[in-house]
Amino acid sequence: MRSLAEVLPSDAFESVRTPAGEAPAGSPRQGPGRVPESVVRPGSTEEVAAVLAWATREGIGVLPVASGSRAAPVSGEGAYVVLSTRRLSGIDIYEPADLTLTARAGTPFRVVDDALGAEGQWAPFDPPRVNERSIGGLVGSGESGPLWMGYGELRNHVLGATVVTGDGRTLRLGGRVVKNVAGYDLLKAVVGSRGTLAVLTSVCVRAFPRPAIDRVLVLRGSSVGALLDAAMGVGTAPMLPVSSVMANRIGDGAEKRGAALVVRLHGARSTVDADQAALERHIGAAFETIGDDGFGAEASRAHALLTTIRDRGATDAVVLDVSARPSRLREVLSALARLDADALVADTYGGRIRVGMRELDRPRVHAARQAIEGLGGALRVRHAAGNETDQVQGSGPSDDETRLTDRLRGIFDPAGVFWPAR
Amino acid sequence: MTRPLAPDVVRGLEEIVGARHVITDPNRLLVYESDGLTAYRVAPRAVVLPDSTEQVAGVLALLHRERIEIVPRGAGTGLSGGALPTPDGVIVGTARMNRILAIDADDRLARVQPGVVNARLTEATRPFGLYYAPDPSSQSSCTLGGNVAENSGGPHCLKYGVTSRYVTGLTVVMADGEVVRLGGVGREATGGLDLVGLFVGSEGCFGIAAEIEVRLLPLATGVRTLLGIFETMEAAGHAVTRIIGSGLMPAAVEIVDQATIEAVEASVFAAGYPTDAGAALVIEFDGTEQGLDADADRAAACCLEVGAREVRRAATEGERAALWKGRKKAFGAMGRIAPDLLVQDATVPRTRLPEVLARITEIGQRYDLKIANVFHAGDGNLHPNILFDRQNTDELARVERASHEIMSLCVAVGGTITGEHGVGVDKRQYMRLVHDEVEIDMLRRVRRVFDPEGLLNPGKVLPDPDPSSAEKAPLPV
Repeated sequence: MRSLAEVLPSDAFESVRTPAGEAPAGSPRQGPGRVPESVVRPGSTEEVAAVLAWATREGIGVLPVASGSRAAPVSGEGAYVVLSTRRLSGIDIYEPADLTLTARAGTPFRVVDDALGAEGQWAPFDPPRVNERSIGGLVGSGESGPLWMGYGELRNHVLGATVVTGDGRTLRLGGRVVKNVAGYDLLKAVVGSRGTLAVLTSVCVRAFPRPAIDRVLVLRGSSVGALLDAAMGVGTAPMLPVSSVMANRIGDGAEKRGAALVVRLHGARSTVDADQAALERHIGAAFETIGDDGFGAEASRAHALLTTIRDRGATDAVVLDVSARPSRLREVLSALARLDADALVADTYGGRIRVGMRELDRPRVHAARQAIEGLGGALRVRHAAGNETDQVQGSGPSDDETRLTDRLRGIFDPAGVFWPAR
Repeated sequence: MTRPLAPDVVRGLEEIVGARHVITDPNRLLVYESDGLTAYRVAPRAVVLPDSTEQVAGVLALLHRERIEIVPRGAGTGLSGGALPTPDGVIVGTARMNRILAIDADDRLARVQPGVVNARLTEATRPFGLYYAPDPSSQSSCTLGGNVAENSGGPHCLKYGVTSRYVTGLTVVMADGEVVRLGGVGREATGGLDLVGLFVGSEGCFGIAAEIEVRLLPLATGVRTLLGIFETMEAAGHAVTRIIGSGLMPAAVEIVDQATIEAVEASVFAAGYPTDAGAALVIEFDGTEQGLDADADRAAACCLEVGAREVRRAATEGERAALWKGRKKAFGAMGRIAPDLLVQDATVPRTRLPEVLARITEIGQRYDLKIANVFHAGDGNLHPNILFDRQNTDELARVERASHEIMSLCVAVGGTITGEHGVGVDKRQYMRLVHDEVEIDMLRRVRRVFDPEGLLNPGKVLPDPDPSSAEKAPLPV
């Protein structure tokens, strides 16, 4: 076996497995998963390509990690290395008047956000813990936060990317213009593929001007169920908020008993005032205005509330992703009621729910999944403490989708080196 | 000469869709010889018009068994030759698949057949307070199936995004007739690859979308439309940069240049634009009524600060239509200036617009060609329209060389060869300007994932294998 040290410079090695078999630093979260042979952090697209070509030749698995904050333990047989994109860091092109920014994949999102903010711009990405993640990790996860309601899904804001396939081929997908249909849209397949098709080394995202007012409104209730009518009403209002989320245990005070519906409005002051009035008329209730500075400093109440609700439950021991048509939410919530959720965050406009739990109650999760699938929805275990994710059958792609996915994997990753990411 | 289909194949197709819906009469086939890119003409062997998913599946299964090429066609309004027949192929048209299958107002979704005309969906959903956002300029005739195939844009995509943002689920008939269902609202948590996103924009090479689920938006309660008149194109370009940079989010920002204004004003579409102006800028805001005047005031100020001669405002829906007329009727108006029009399509980073426009003018002068520019300025999406006469072979050769230079220029400044019209047959020769051989090979392999035999819309999107032959590809007429 030709050593990885022959294809990578020494500074690209973060750590290697000790002779005693202890996990190298930077390995996925502790748990019963397999330990990688080494953790490498290439400094360029070429070095990423060298690692992947080597892995394909040698039959070694590769687990791409971005910030590493989301990597799950690896199960399955065979040796693998962790490929960290952390050293691929920095903003390469930012032309504010073009409203586009190109950064290397390992660039922390916070760095991107600061650069945009300095020019009065932003990228409307708000999945959980967004500021701890890298731009490549975000794009690879494909996760949209509640802001998708007003701005569209994350995938619509990724204009281009440089990626390396499992066998070490470098592809420039898309570009750095807002409209681009020059060839099949392979970029859409890679965004959200979570390291199973290719390693992202650079991404170009669309930026937006920051609105003058970022108003954060709250309606409080005794429970999520009690707020459901109001939340559904937001979805059918004659105006479109930029986000609308309800969550349990968001009440003031130490006990945090109550639930809250948090709605965000963007625009000029006159627009936002009118939208708020129209919304309140439509749902027949008055909101509490927390602030007009959702973008504000971390000390601002509006910002703090948005952050709390954004991250609610995302680091619980067990996290479930649930989706359903918005009109079925009442039935979905009742199917989830038996789970004794610690955290429940529902994007009512999209019909997407995150459930955080302290432990995995398999029979109840299984029953909830069956009920939700019966409603045309889906339930998946995003992560579970230890290595239990595989032990609860979640809703998956259809047989048709699986077959096409397998064929796509076969051409992006012919030797299957990305098995640890699946 | 096109080879007729074997009688048993015709009979088989007739059994599936009915004899009336299989066209083999050469006179009736003439209509299908080209799409909106009329410079290319090829007669198909037949046209088949199914009206259901099952009929599409039956037709494709039969053609696949016979190894006959399949060219999907919507309304035939595409401008890149994506629906151009192949000499050995059969056109599968979606004209009869024009039913809106469901409007689900609670979930703000619609499910449609591919032959539904874009504007008809908005008409049908308006009573529910909803509309379908992507609005290609051909929206009164183009179909949603065609929009899916091309990932179509439109003037209001600046604020609302292109087709792929709104397509949430698809029922696709694969080349061999197999029916597969992809995506769908409610299934996001399955965590699969974005196969719907991959399919959108595949230009009829991956399958035929037989049912389409799309997301609808609430109708805006108000709209404000402005027309800025500028002495020079450069000043209009600066106004765009200023408006976007000021934090405003217009729904649309469109520019027409002097050559276009002249053409429009001399035609039956005259919109009242001053013919001595260097450029006109149509700016539109939509959304909540109360905030719109403030936005419009700021945009007008941006125009005046960079030297706009005047800024007109529409006070009524009639006035709004009049301001838009000069933009929307531009292509029609050019018909009276020259027998042929090549509608080009490319995108550049917005900040490079003034420089690129100046160089396009220079290219036009150098090749002695009339080029009129109409474009989605907010997106940097250019449409340089080259006016010519295809009977003049020398002029035709100059059109080809000028097109190549314009495409190379757009790519050199960080742009691309097509923003919304697709590659089709027209841009195949330019694909190597934006993709290397590894990438083109990958596009080819992904196509084979969906259509292993390459029977669906062959000869589109992908360039010829030999790079040296692509450089010399002539503009077929």
